[in-house]
Formats: sequence, C-alpha cells, structure tokens
Amino acid sequence: MTGTTELTDDGLVRRLLAGDEEAFGLLYKRRHPSIYRFALHMSGNAAVAEDVTQEVFMTLIRDVSRYDPARGSVAGFLFGVARNHLRKRWEQDRRLVPLVGDADDFGPLASGNGHHTNSRNGNGNGHYAVPTSRDEFSSMEAVSRVRKAINTLPENYREVVVLCELEEMSYEETAAALGCPVGRVRSRLHRARAILLEKLRDAQPARRASAVGE
Amino acid sequence: MDCSQFEEVLHDLDRPGTRGLALREVALVHAESCSRCAQLMTDAESLDFSLQTIALREAHLEAPPRIEAHLLKEFRVHNAAASRRRMQRRLAALGVAAAILLALGVSLRHGSVFHGKSTPETSANGAATIVSPVEVAENRLPDSPDETAFVSLPYAADPATLENGAVVRVVLSRSALASLGLPVADVSATEQVPADIVLSEDGAPQAIRLVAQANLDQ
Repeated sequence: MTGTTELTDDGLVRRLLAGDEEAFGLLYKRRHPSIYRFALHMSGNAAVAEDVTQEVFMTLIRDVSRYDPARGSVAGFLFGVARNHLRKRWEQDRRLVPLVGDADDFGPLASGNGHHTNSRNGNGNGHYAVPTSRDEFSSMEAVSRVRKAINTLPENYREVVVLCELEEMSYEETAAALGCPVGRVRSRLHRARAILLEKLRDAQPARRASAVGE
Repeated sequence: MDCSQFEEVLHDLDRPGTRGLALREVALVHAESCSRCAQLMTDAESLDFSLQTIALREAHLEAPPRIEAHLLKEFRVHNAAASRRRMQRRLAALGVAAAILLALGVSLRHGSVFHGKSTPETSANGAATIVSPVEVAENRLPDSPDETAFVSLPYAADPATLENGAVVRVVLSRSALASLGLPVADVSATEQVPADIVLSEDGAPQAIRLVAQANLDQ
C-alpha cells in the first residue's frame, strides 16, 4: 500500500529516481495541466505549449538529479524548466512571441487544438458554445479584450498574472514557482493589473462614453 | 483611508491572506465617498470577472494524451538503459574481483604473495605493499621509482576515490592481466608478473600498474 508521504511530489520524485513508472505517471497527471496552461498563456500557441510541456517532463526523466528539494518545490522546479524552455524558444524563433491582437493564435479557445478533460464550458468537441444572449456576447467580448491585453504584457508581468490570476496560485506559491520574493510577486501583479486596466480603458473609450451617458 | 492607501490595496481586496482583504470594509467606505476610487474599484472588479472567466474556461485544458504516451515510452527506454548500465558495472566489478581472487589464490599456491605493510624492508622480501593515500595520489610507491604509471580499470569509479584507497602489490599471471584489460603479448605464458593494484575503500580494484622485476629485487 502506498503511504501518504510517497504521494507527495517529493515522494514521487524519490520513487521516480528508483525507476517507478507509476510515480512518474502520477506526477505527470498532477503537474502537467498547470505547466501546459502556463506555457500556453506565455506563448499564446498550443503547439509551443505542448512542446514545452513535453520538454519539461523529459528533463524530469533524464536529469531529475538537477532537482534539489532544498532549493524549492517540485512545482517550482517544473515551472523554472518551463520558463527556460520558453525563453529558448523565443530566442530561437522570434515569431513565436505573442503579438498584439493575435488572439487567433490562442490555441484551443480559438482553434480547437487543445484537449479538454470535460465539456463543462464547451460542447465536448473542443469548441465553446455559441453565445445566445447580448450579455453573453458582451461578456465574451470583455474576456477577449482581457486576453489580448494579457498577451501584450511584458514577460515578467504576464507570468505573475498567469500564475496568480489564471492559475489562482497564492503569492507564496507563485514566488516559489518563479524563484523570487513574495513582495516582488505582489508588486509585479499590482503593476500588471494597473497596466491591464489602462489598456482596457484605452480599448473602449466609446463604450465608456456611452455608459456614462446612460 | 485616503486615495493612495485605497490604490495600494485595490488589487488585493478579494485575495485571501492579504492586507487588502482585511481592509476591504474600510476600502468600500472610502469608495462610497470618492467617485474616482469608486470607478477604479468598478474597473478592477470588471477585470477580476474577466480573469475569473478565463481561468474557469481554461481550468480543464491540458496537453493531449499523446504527450503522456510519448513520455511514458521515453521513461521506459531511459529506465531500461540505466538498469543495463548498472548491471554492466556490477558484472564488471564482479569479474575483476573474481580475477583478482583467482590471481591471489594462484599466488598463494606458489608462495609468492606478499604480506604486511608498505615498508622498504617488507617490499624487498615480497610483502604486500600498502602506501598512504597521498602516495597514491602522487602515483608512486616509496623506494620503487621504476614502475609504470597507474592505468585506470575500465569500470573504475570517480578518480577521487583513489585518494582514500590502498595499493596492494600482487603477482598475477599474464592471463589475469589480460582479464583486467591490459595489453599482454602472450596470454598463454605461465610467467608471473608483479603489479600494484589500487583498491577503493570498498575493496573494488580501481587501477593497476606493472612493477619492474628489478624493483622487486632491490
């Protein structure tokens, strides 16, 4: 019977070192969705997100000795490897940097390329349901504007927005994942949100004017 | 609370474990009396709503199953290769240990095994020669300047382990030398060859050097 300790990330890494395939499978299932989504949000491209996810776990297979529990958590290690791979990709191929207004590249939501584990928000075919009301349209518009605005943020601001807001990680968890102090995460997030608010205000002056008129 | 304090906590008003959440009520009271801060709060709430919508919509996104299948395959390949390497190292160590035991056995039978510690006297009458780690590191034996250099054995561990090892002088047959990977001209010859073997702390042979017969006669 498997003990609780062995099911922690560190316990799974120890088992993985001993060649336990089940431990690798468990760790992958537990950690890959957030790594995949992080890469997807940071790259704006589903194919890149898949490559990065694969590379992160290949690193775990081939070079697990690089992980040092004294220096941080397994999740932090995996996010660190993902960031390094993303940076390498950007250096190798500048065209993979998300462009302003390039929302169509945003993988599954736009193109249906991604994989959904359930269809709560979609129709089960990888596509989202067509909005049926004016409110829903306006909500989707707002979400689309926010997504575009996130894609235009500088990398260090974008990653805290992705981790704190989209992955709903605490400041502490984000700091561990990014390997920086909690205070820096907080200040970057506040600055990032201020930039997002400015961008969103700039993007809809007409809308605001009509709202004020009402 | 003033406007600057309000802006400081604006983005943390709904975030658990932050100062913003603790000051939420005070911030709301301030927003009621300040239209600018009220507008900021409305904008921030709208941003929160959009971010939560994105998070909710994408919470179930994950990499396609083929990535997992590929990684599991890679894990098996890597694991099998690692197991093979471990097994090869063990077999090599066992083989060499067996060869040395055999050589020692043969030497005992011929009454030519040397015993004792490394001193010029005991070396001279054929005793086993053990030198200090420093001497090993310097790759020399006391009073025996004419040996060949130590040759690392194929499966030898980190060279650093040599510093804690011991050197044992033995007499080996040419076939035993060949089994250690040394180039020997005539394996079938029965001639015994003196050699120094470096043993690691766990007793596994790590390196070997041949000793000129003349040194033994000194």
